[in-house]
Amino acid sequence: MTRHAKRLRIAGLSVLQIVVAALVLLPFFWMLSVSFKPATEAFAIPAELWPRNPTLENYVLALRPEFRRYFLNSMIVSGATLAITIPLGLLAAYSLSRFQYRILSVFLAMVVLAQFFPAGAMIIPIYKIVRSAGLLDTYASLIIAYITVTLPVAIWMMRGFLMRVPRTLEEAAAIDGASPLRAFVDIVIPLARPGIVATSVFVLIVTWQEFLFALSFTSSKEMRTLPVGMNDYIGQYGVRYGELMASSVMISVPVIAVFFFLQRQFVAGLTAGAVKG
Amino acid sequence: MTSVALDRVVKKWGHFVGVNDVSLEIADGEFLVLLGPSGCGKSTTMRMVAGLEELTSGEIRIGDRVVNDLAPGERDLAMVFQNYGLYPHMTIAQNIGYPLKVAGVPRQERMKRVQAAADRVELSEYLERRPHALSGGQRQRVALGRAIVRTPQLFLMDEPLSNLDAKLRVSMRAQIKHLQKELNTTTIYVTHDQVEAMTLADRVAVMAKGEIQQIGAPLDIYNRPANAFVASFLGSPSMNLFEMQVSDGELRNPSFRLRAPDNAPSALTIGQRPEDMAAVAPGEGDFDSEVYTAELLGDTALITVRIGHDLVSIKAPKDTGFRMGDRVGIRFDRDTLHYFDGVTGTRIEFETGGYAA
Ligand SMILES: Nc1ncnc2c1ncn2[C@@H]1O[C@H](COP(=O)(O)OP(=O)(O)OP(=O)(O)O)[C@@H](O)[C@H]1O
Ligand SMILES: [Mg+2]
Repeated sequence: MTRHAKRLRIAGLSVLQIVVAALVLLPFFWMLSVSFKPATEAFAIPAELWPRNPTLENYVLALRPEFRRYFLNSMIVSGATLAITIPLGLLAAYSLSRFQYRILSVFLAMVVLAQFFPAGAMIIPIYKIVRSAGLLDTYASLIIAYITVTLPVAIWMMRGFLMRVPRTLEEAAAIDGASPLRAFVDIVIPLARPGIVATSVFVLIVTWQEFLFALSFTSSKEMRTLPVGMNDYIGQYGVRYGELMASSVMISVPVIAVFFFLQRQFVAGLTAGAVKG
Repeated sequence: MTSVALDRVVKKWGHFVGVNDVSLEIADGEFLVLLGPSGCGKSTTMRMVAGLEELTSGEIRIGDRVVNDLAPGERDLAMVFQNYGLYPHMTIAQNIGYPLKVAGVPRQERMKRVQAAADRVELSEYLERRPHALSGGQRQRVALGRAIVRTPQLFLMDEPLSNLDAKLRVSMRAQIKHLQKELNTTTIYVTHDQVEAMTLADRVAVMAKGEIQQIGAPLDIYNRPANAFVASFLGSPSMNLFEMQVSDGELRNPSFRLRAPDNAPSALTIGQRPEDMAAVAPGEGDFDSEVYTAELLGDTALITVRIGHDLVSIKAPKDTGFRMGDRVGIRFDRDTLHYFDGVTGTRIEFETGGYAA
């Protein structure tokens, strides 16, 4: 290719990237925009991209005590799910990455297969189980249900990262006197950290936004999580879009913040230099 | 410092025998090299000594302890891996100090000993770097530093130089040899490079197909290879071997004949090292041939001729006049001929002829 053609190609690709990015980002931008618009402006026609009279009114209204309660509930449920899924999943994944099990391929196939079942198909049996266990309207019901969803995927994801940690390093640690557990903690975990972080983010996102289980298993306002709580704004006689979008923004902020701060962790390549190069 | 003994050690995976009935004694302070072609079971043997691989049967003793059931960390040995096995998330200082940290050596003491070990392997300037910021030779020295830092009883090294370029390999080889003699630590060293084996070893154990073929000082093995395999594996270029039929008191092959030793079996392989053969004027040797290539090596010249399908190497003085395509006479030196059984390959010593040590 000539230099000219190459430049053209790069330019074309850049335009394509901008278009795709715009398509993806438009709803987010709309959410932000509406959250700053007064109620009269939200659905003015023709629609305007920027708020004409920006206001914080929606945020003030949205930050009701209930919202704070939902936020707390979401934190508890997501946090507990994460705190159980990651250590448990890590140990299981480690075992599956280091030992040959005959059922391994069956297990992995099941994990993938399970992803094809829509949650709606499983909700009724799970509801019955939760009810007969007397767990309806508790944090435990959600935490348990979420773990059943996140744990297999977490094992599957982390196994992939653990497989990439060279075995020689554990052998070197064993020769240096470390017990298998010590080698796991000192060597394997630090090297698999990008994978552990990525898996944690996955767990957080799945649980933070989960709606169906949360709606079905909780009935009292005290137990609701954020996605369910958002329903409050969708009333019989209309939708309070301003507040809905303001709380949507506030729900998204933690997720975006997590991404922002952990971005560097995703960058693998931490194992560079372990073995020849 | 300690001695090591392998007693009828066997390693099988299913029906595949990786190491077969290996017995070996390594003296206190000795530098033993396990030498053999790829896949012959050298690493497996070493890994069993290290405790990274379980024995199928047999016994390994380090000092007077049977170590079969001890974890690697309990065997008081250090190992240098072929790919170094450095911890990429730790600094060089942390890498070298890790065995001490695991052993619970207090921080102050640890830093002192890391510094001392780093000085020994000339790495003091790099202590705060990560392994990925070092060159291959420097990484190799980190692995050495980590091995010597806690003064183990036994060093194990599995092809530690194979990832380095030729020049670095020579200088690292000298460093390893020097270090080992200075510390006087019993060492087992695995390589498939016969030059490394010859230069480093007090004794060499030559392996093939999971079995030990011969154990001895490098020169002894070079001078009196126990079988045709060892003969061809040691030496560069390797020993010329000829399969001969014996009849009427003569050794015959399609190209030439030699007088047979008394009591020779009906099939005999004879061998002669390139430096023991001579290239002479046509008609003056045991047979004539044509020069296939003539290469100047520097201090000598290497003349290759063709006999049947085989190439035969002869080391000649560097001012030899032979050029490619010249007719040349080839002469055997009767005193330095090696004889091997034509069927089993085992060395045979004859009363007359054969190698006079
Ligand atoms: N875990 C294993 N399972 C089955 N066979 C194995 C295993 N490890 C090694 N082997 C086989 O055992 C034989 C000896 O292997 P080993 O690694 O000891 O060879 P080596 O002499 O060190 O060779 P190289 O010079 O290539 O490193 C090889 O044929 C290898 O394929
Ligand atoms: Mg090997």
